Amino acid sequence: MGQRQGEMVQGTLEMLILKTLALEPMHGYGVALRIEQVSAGVFRVNPGSLLPALARMERAGSVKSEWRSTENNRRAKYYMLTAVGRKALMDETAAWGRQTAAIARILEA
Amino acid sequence: MAWFRNMAKGFWALFSRERVEHEMDEELRAFLDASAEAKRRAGMTPEEAAHAARVEMGSPNAVKHHIRSAVWETVVENLWQDLRYSIRALAKSPGFTLVAVLSLALGIGANTAIFSLMDVVMLRSLPVDEPGQLVLFGSGRAGGSTDSLPNESWTLFSYPFYRSFSQINEVFSSVTAIKSIEFATHGTLAGGGREMLHASLVSGTYFSLLGVIPDRGRMLTEADDQTPGSGTVAVVSYAWWQRHGNDPAAVGKTVAIEGTDYTIVGVAPKGFVGVMVGESPDFWIPLSMEKEISPGWNGLENKWFQSLYLVARLKPGVTAAQASANTNLLFQQYIRGEYLGQSPSQKDLADVAHAHIDLTSAARGLSRLRRQFSLPLEILTTIAGLVLLIACANLASLLLARGAARSREFAMRMAIGATRSRVVRQLLTESFVIALLGAALGVASAWKASHLLLTMASHSAEVAAMNVSPDLRVLAFSLALTVFTALLFGMTPAIRATRLDLNTSLKQTRAAAAPSSRFSLARGLIVLQIALSLVLLAAASLFLRSLVNLSNVDAGFDKQNVLVFDLDEYSAGLPADARLVNLQKQIEERVQTLPGVHAASFSMFTFNQGIWSNDVTAQGIPRTPENSDDVLFNVVGNGFFSTWGLPIVAGRGFDSGDKIDSPTVAVINQTMAHMFFPNSSPIGRRFGLGNDPSHSRDIEIIGVVKNAKYRTLDESPQTLAYFPYTQRVQYFGNFSVRYSGEAGQMVPAVRSAIAQVNPNVLIGSFSTLTDLVDESTANQRLIARLSAFFGLLAAFLVCIGIYGLLSYAVARRTSEIGVRMALGARRSNVLWLILREILVLVAIGIAIGVPLALAGNRLAAKLLYGLSPADPLSLFAAVVMMFAIATLAGYLPARKASLVEPTAALRCE
Repeated sequence: MGQRQGEMVQGTLEMLILKTLALEPMHGYGVALRIEQVSAGVFRVNPGSLLPALARMERAGSVKSEWRSTENNRRAKYYMLTAVGRKALMDETAAWGRQTAAIARILEA
Repeated sequence: MAWFRNMAKGFWALFSRERVEHEMDEELRAFLDASAEAKRRAGMTPEEAAHAARVEMGSPNAVKHHIRSAVWETVVENLWQDLRYSIRALAKSPGFTLVAVLSLALGIGANTAIFSLMDVVMLRSLPVDEPGQLVLFGSGRAGGSTDSLPNESWTLFSYPFYRSFSQINEVFSSVTAIKSIEFATHGTLAGGGREMLHASLVSGTYFSLLGVIPDRGRMLTEADDQTPGSGTVAVVSYAWWQRHGNDPAAVGKTVAIEGTDYTIVGVAPKGFVGVMVGESPDFWIPLSMEKEISPGWNGLENKWFQSLYLVARLKPGVTAAQASANTNLLFQQYIRGEYLGQSPSQKDLADVAHAHIDLTSAARGLSRLRRQFSLPLEILTTIAGLVLLIACANLASLLLARGAARSREFAMRMAIGATRSRVVRQLLTESFVIALLGAALGVASAWKASHLLLTMASHSAEVAAMNVSPDLRVLAFSLALTVFTALLFGMTPAIRATRLDLNTSLKQTRAAAAPSSRFSLARGLIVLQIALSLVLLAAASLFLRSLVNLSNVDAGFDKQNVLVFDLDEYSAGLPADARLVNLQKQIEERVQTLPGVHAASFSMFTFNQGIWSNDVTAQGIPRTPENSDDVLFNVVGNGFFSTWGLPIVAGRGFDSGDKIDSPTVAVINQTMAHMFFPNSSPIGRRFGLGNDPSHSRDIEIIGVVKNAKYRTLDESPQTLAYFPYTQRVQYFGNFSVRYSGEAGQMVPAVRSAIAQVNPNVLIGSFSTLTDLVDESTANQRLIARLSAFFGLLAAFLVCIGIYGLLSYAVARRTSEIGVRMALGARRSNVLWLILREILVLVAIGIAIGVPLALAGNRLAAKLLYGLSPADPLSLFAAVVMMFAIATLAGYLPARKASLVEPTAALRCE
């Protein structure tokens, strides 16, 4: 989809964040790292797009945040899924499934 | 609920900005820490890890900017920041701000004032039900009464035609008749004093057709308008009711008007002033009472007495074409059946064949004002539009120069992380602040200005009472204008100012200034301003010269030292016979005995009041197309010619020998004498009204009088005949007095002399004949004054523009000038160097402006008197003025440049 490796399909970043946070509450860098690791380095999310996305999602009510101590005792803002977020994740995953299946059918046809 | 939470959180964030900022910093720091930590664990040294983490993140400010732009309150916050910054920046250069705001205020104010007039006079719909369904028969261009068969579209109709037509037509749900003139009369409210009343006579269908809901009581109905003299009822206007203290018992009271008692049956709703824009009747009275209101108007059963406007409401679903077809079919049937006798003349047949009714929309009411003002308003709108354009161009060039002067500031802001769009937005905010301030000031002054314009344009109290305060539509217009101007003059300079090469801008010194494309835009704007103001100046000098021509016109009569009284003789209660004539003679004689009075006379018309005209046939003179045109008439007293200073050039004037039972006589003017009797003396010859030869012996010509203007100063010489009032008995409203001495003492003396003869004759206002003549040119004076004002204003703006541009250019070229002078240039060379630049621009501006002015002035042709729209002198005057103004504006900065000390200029680097 993108010209460069790691560029994300428009609108998918929020879905990936939701999926990542569904496992456990995480801070910003944690989310970025997890996405990079799970995608085996295909997606690199820089803070310039990750943090605004989190702010947007927090405002929309799909995540909420809390300041906590990290594993090495520093303060960080942890994000966690809300009920709204959980539902949004289900909806978006379903929609994504339908879309990719459709695209796949078109490409195979 | 999500949007609500979003709003609430946004507001919360707005009010706890510090905490939000702090949290953002914290989060970024935590992110960096975590990232560096991970990199260290992957094997980097702490320094390498920290560096790599920072590189990955990029500018923390940019990240914060992205986070901020994810939420809505940032927009508000930025706006607020921009606003504060703009106000600070503007406050720092008060001179610039003042000029910018004032010139915009003038531009927007002028446009708003003229638009509100335009809105009231030309655009606003009547406040009635479904105004779009209303049509007027004809153009409404004539008023009064006529007994002719026009061979064109009719506009005045008889009562019998109205009755017959409204019964048989199939396309209108209702038709109403309105007397084409409003009556100024006097009435006495039971228990109150005598007062002046404006009465509009309407048919019984008037209010139901318009769908007017009474404020109280009832409106007029068909039952009030059945048989002549039966409808002794009146509906009063809300304004009249208000003037009488909102008397709750007003409905049911009686008002005596000219000897008849009328019962007030209702109060019209607030804001309803009828269908005539610019008139605001106090009373609406059924047409059945027309003879009682004014004895001369006795046409209810006379198909030749055509004095009514007809307004009709289209049936739903009927198209304009269908309505027109049905109306004209019935109209042709009617006039062929009713007007043509057994053996119609060829001319009558031809006239009838051309007679028709144009249906025009009456949605916006009928208006003489519209006719009178539409051309002046169009011209004024154009002028005001040009002024605004000049003001915008002026501001744009000021902003360009200001932007260029601030390029280092912008470069600095962009270097420390502001995006270009952010800087542009901030600059646009500045433009908006200027525009809003200008608009607020402009609208506030327009409030007053439109009233001033109205009173300048018309002396009529009714016109002056029109509500021209800007309403929501006008405010919307101004707001749109403001936004438009802000974008227009703000966008380009903002984009230009931020198109920077940061490096050179930051390093820039005055030496680096090269004439760049930025300045060709600034020069273009100056040229535009010069061209447009030349158009305005040319128009102004054209209108001024036309006004001078007009005021030098010889009116024929001597307008100095004549007072004209407005009076109501009908109120004396005398019948129109010898008794009335006797009263008139007594009044004239009594007033003539007053010390200082030279002559006094009643007359049907004075000047610019209306016309009575008819075609005439002179005995023994064959009719030609030229002499078949209407002749104007006036009915006057014996002393009229001496009162008006009109010498008799042949024969005699009227005297006491001309009585009701003596031979019918007339005095004609020189033009009429020449038209009918070019080679012989007209004295003793005869003519008659109309084209029937059997009447051509009716009137004997006893004298010829000097030509005098009748309606307007710019009319061509008209054929005109005067009749003595002893032979055409009627009630008069005009009484002229030639006097010497103080007008202030004369007025009460004349009033009491008339009251001594008969205390019941009501004397209203008075004016001097000079005022009446001046009033007839109110339009021309209004335009001349305003165009001169706007022309000078435009020239002034251009001055500011030129001064600003040159001052800036001089400042940037100081070192160049220093070098030139060090190399031996003289001060005069430098002066010329700078001045030459502006003179080239002026020459280009004039070259563009002259053809523009010539094209634009053609629009004004109709309003010009005694000169052509291409009048070379006016254009020449404008060109000279433009040159003078531009040179003056350019001289100051040029002089400043020539005074530069070479050593100082070179040391500046």
